[in-house]
Amino acid sequence: MLKKYKKWLLALLVLLLAGGGVIWYMFTLKYDDTASVKADYTVNAMDFIKEFKQDMTAANKKYSEKIIVVNGTVSAIEMADTTANIKMVDTTNGAYIIFAFQQQHLQEAKAMKEGELVSIKGSCSNGAFSSILEAEYITFKRCAVNK
Amino acid sequence: MKKTILSVALVMATGLLFAQKKTTTSATIAFDATTALDALPKAENKTVIASLDTKSGAVAFEAAVKSFAFANPKMQEHFNSAGWMNSDQFATATFKGSITNLKDVKFNKDGTYAVTVTGDLTIHGETKPVEAKGTITVSGKTIKTTSDFTVKLEDYKVNGGAIAAGKVSKEPKITVVAEFN
Repeated sequence: MLKKYKKWLLALLVLLLAGGGVIWYMFTLKYDDTASVKADYTVNAMDFIKEFKQDMTAANKKYSEKIIVVNGTVSAIEMADTTANIKMVDTTNGAYIIFAFQQQHLQEAKAMKEGELVSIKGSCSNGAFSSILEAEYITFKRCAVNK
Repeated sequence: MKKTILSVALVMATGLLFAQKKTTTSATIAFDATTALDALPKAENKTVIASLDTKSGAVAFEAAVKSFAFANPKMQEHFNSAGWMNSDQFATATFKGSITNLKDVKFNKDGTYAVTVTGDLTIHGETKPVEAKGTITVSGKTIKTTSDFTVKLEDYKVNGGAIAAGKVSKEPKITVVAEFN
């Protein structure tokens, strides 16, 4: 009887440890360095904007939360507060892509120059239409220079 | 005659400079919904679109919900899920309002000015009137606006077991910073 009771107690302990392990894992989980993550797509900036302008819903379904390498020319470096965002703008219509960098890659953004041809890898958040700017925009987070 | 034309042009140019709507695409909004039980529910969006009309005092923000970056992937997933922000359906959070004490702010004079902003905040498809205190700091051509306030999640129909369990604050603190050049 005591042996059976011990077995149940042991099983319960194992379950508790496993459950605790899963919770600990989920709570301490962090995003990988984007520089080391394999990209789902590689695109040209202006073609990418065009795809969103043509069908925003379809493009969001395809690219949202995917890791994408965007090749294009830096239109602006927006230094604000503690951050530095890189923008690629379609000057014909004002639509743009904006890249917010991972903390460990912030210096890479600050080192970029306007007019420079760059390759940036990041997580595509989504595309939308701005009623403030009256233009389409696509936002990226956790970006790094694609090497 | 030349002097008159020059003077008129100068006045017009000055007027345009101070009347124009200023915009930025790199404003930040951070929210902190941490509690004693959970330090994870906090995130920052660094690609917020903001505008400030220095003549009328109109202020507006547009934030893509999916652009809020969390440190923890699971937290990000929960935040965007249908049970929380439902960001596929409600892709942006917006604010449209105005500075109520605009006369106290001198945009052509360096300094820090206390302001009150009122307007409509739309989150999760729900629009509610809000009032927030903030500051405007003028330094040369740069205008920096900051504001801290809280929102009641239940006002925006954002509910979930984690809120009831005390893992997510019922009234997260929101910090908005926008710099206009």
